[in-house]
Amino acid sequence: MPGNEMTVSRRDFLKSGLTLGAAGAGGLLTGGLLSGCGTGNVTRANTIPTAGKPRRGGTLRAGLTGGSSADTLDPLNAITNVDFARIDNLYEPLIALTPDAQPMYVLAEELTANAKATEWTIRIARGVTFHNGKDLTADDVIYTFQQILNPKAPTAAAAGLASIDAKGMTKLDNYTVRIPCTTPFATLHQTLAIPGYSNIIPVGYDPTAPVGTGPFRLKSFSPGTQSTFVRYDGYWQSGLPYLDEIVITDYSDETSQVNALLAGQVDVVNLLSEDVISEVQGEGKNVLVSDGGGWNPFTMRVDTGTFSDVRVRQAMRLVVDRQQMLDLVFGGYGTLGNDLFGIWAPEYDHGLPQREQDIDQAKSLLKAAGAEGLHVQLVTSDIAQGTVLTAQVLAQQAAAAGISVSVDDVTVNDFYGTNYLKWQFAQDYWFYNFYLPQASLAMLPTSSLNETHWDNSRYNSLYSQAIATVDDSLRSELAHEMQQIEYNEGGYIIPFFPPVIDGYGANVGGLVPSKIGLSLNAYDFKNLWIS
Amino acid sequence: MLIKRSGIGVLTLLLVSILVFAATQILPGNAASAVLLNTATPARLHALEVQLHLNRPAVEQYWTWLTGILHGNFGTSLANGAPVSTLVGGRILNSAVLVVAAGVIGTVLGVGLGVLAAARRDSLLDHVLSVGALAITALPEFVVAVILVIFFAVVVWHLFPAVSVFVPGTAPWSNPAELVLPVATLVIVIVPYVLRMMRASMIDSLESDYVQMAQLKGVPRWRVLFVHALPNAIAPTIQVIGLTFLYLAGGVVVVEYMFNYPGLGQALVAAVSDRDIPVIQCIVLVLAAFYVAVNILTDVISLAVSPRRRLPGF
Repeated sequence: MPGNEMTVSRRDFLKSGLTLGAAGAGGLLTGGLLSGCGTGNVTRANTIPTAGKPRRGGTLRAGLTGGSSADTLDPLNAITNVDFARIDNLYEPLIALTPDAQPMYVLAEELTANAKATEWTIRIARGVTFHNGKDLTADDVIYTFQQILNPKAPTAAAAGLASIDAKGMTKLDNYTVRIPCTTPFATLHQTLAIPGYSNIIPVGYDPTAPVGTGPFRLKSFSPGTQSTFVRYDGYWQSGLPYLDEIVITDYSDETSQVNALLAGQVDVVNLLSEDVISEVQGEGKNVLVSDGGGWNPFTMRVDTGTFSDVRVRQAMRLVVDRQQMLDLVFGGYGTLGNDLFGIWAPEYDHGLPQREQDIDQAKSLLKAAGAEGLHVQLVTSDIAQGTVLTAQVLAQQAAAAGISVSVDDVTVNDFYGTNYLKWQFAQDYWFYNFYLPQASLAMLPTSSLNETHWDNSRYNSLYSQAIATVDDSLRSELAHEMQQIEYNEGGYIIPFFPPVIDGYGANVGGLVPSKIGLSLNAYDFKNLWIS
Repeated sequence: MLIKRSGIGVLTLLLVSILVFAATQILPGNAASAVLLNTATPARLHALEVQLHLNRPAVEQYWTWLTGILHGNFGTSLANGAPVSTLVGGRILNSAVLVVAAGVIGTVLGVGLGVLAAARRDSLLDHVLSVGALAITALPEFVVAVILVIFFAVVVWHLFPAVSVFVPGTAPWSNPAELVLPVATLVIVIVPYVLRMMRASMIDSLESDYVQMAQLKGVPRWRVLFVHALPNAIAPTIQVIGLTFLYLAGGVVVVEYMFNYPGLGQALVAAVSDRDIPVIQCIVLVLAAFYVAVNILTDVISLAVSPRRRLPGF
């Protein structure tokens, strides 16, 4: 149970006698899991467990891939890895994820839902200030949600938080907000914990002079090139951050990024491939491999064409040798998938049998469907680590069942261009999300990113029940039933959850494995130090 | 003649801008989908397209851009809203430093070694230089760059930075160490061309009657080489040097990418993948203008150093 693990780590952390102030401010001494009516399982912890002896001061130089000249500091519209790296240090969310990918209070102190999950009350922390010195109050929280849900400029979180009644939000007192929902929304606490979904900005936020409550404030920003941040001395968690400064530099590819690490020009690098692990270690640098919760599915459209026959979808899922795929693409690191997303979510059904390759079964399904000698085109693109290679491996494995998969490798722009969400058979990438919030984004007829065009009436009605169920275990049961349907009939092939591989110099302390699926402590640098 | 050539040059630039704009329209996706990637819900996509005016007809978009240029306004980046002029301006300087440094060093080295090889024709030195030049010609820039990085930055010696990262807004020459490997890569790539051309034309020159005459008169060897032979050998080499600079304007793209050097080439690669049309247009125009200017300049210099060709009939 993640809660227990956290407690042990925190106890170790406290025993080592470091940063007692930080622990006190974070409420760790009174911490543990909060349960009770509608609060969900939210850990109260503001400090990630660390090993070693932190040291104050110094500059951390991060060499990161994944950015572009569309880099942004807009906390409501983070898209790429480098966006998250800047935003997670500049701003803070109401709720974040622990390294075990469970919800953890940050700026929120408590979330409670009413019995029907149609109204939430959020109490926020006191004594928190923005970088311009202004106190964090309920007004800022209301303002932030109004911006997130602004119909004229929908943000990244708009679809996920669409149930919130933006006009009906009320301030109960300076530190308490009541959030009514137009439809039941029992998973608000999980949804707010998704990276980039609840970063709080002050009333009248000025994008040209961005301020947040994060441990670092902005010094300079040059999109696609470099950004620098300095320690915010008024940060509310005393003793943190350890670093004086962060320099984040965009790198266009892994080669130059690794060269910079090996030449000592940067201290940490993100998103490495398995290929460079031995090179990095051979030159005296460290590698941290985490089990990520992000997922890169194959998407089969269930509404038209070949894959509208459920037997063909089942056959495709059965031709995949998942272990071999993971070995070939990520050197065996990472976690096997079972065609279901949300692997670290409490609702994830670990009871369903691990799907294995079964060529005979696949062949007989194809025969029954009259689709022997099936020929399909798979649209792939370099959208995430290893996607093209994964597609090629699938094509080879499918050949064993007499399925000919022709892999069409298109550019990223082509992939996300006019045909996005319309491809018959393609891939995609998703960051980690809990089961039900992810289902709301991609598995319902109303979902704006329903790439498999999944629309199952039983599934839809189970979702409606689950989203109105405040009790965690009852909701989990409903979610299990949804997963059963998806496991048997769904349009996704989720062969694995890729690992996250970071590289760092011997002088960097505080990095811990993280299941969130983002590199380098999910880019939360306040617990890192340089020695 | 110069005015006529310049007029044709401007017309070329206009044609280039139309072609590039047309090409960006044919490419799949647009700046909005390139920015939003897998968060491109139909609502978000539509809002951003409206904000970036991508929903207007293509001809209207081009016309707005062109009239803007004529008013000295290069527009704003679709990716991040920054003015294109400031975005590209800094990059031009960075790339220019790279191109000029590599071009000057490469030319001096190439001409010098070429003269040396020709003067000691068929000696061991000449053979080593010729074979070496041939071998290097066969290596693409990125191979040269990788070899240099392995030897001088990452594995064997840690002498120079492996990537060229400098604080945005600072001039490249205030970070000389960061320039060493990218400049060296470009120099290594261009020297063989200049060297081989210089050697060949120098040998022609040395075999001519007037050089033999000078030798027979007892003119000192250095004077024969540099005063008699070199001026006549340089004209064809100037064309090669011109071509070399043109190559450099393209070659920096690969080298900048390899070293993460914040120049024009890297910005162009980024702009194409972001479908950032105003930035693509501006950079392509800068590069095209550079091509036109270098072509005119090499012709002018060639004429200046070979008086005979200025006579009618040549």
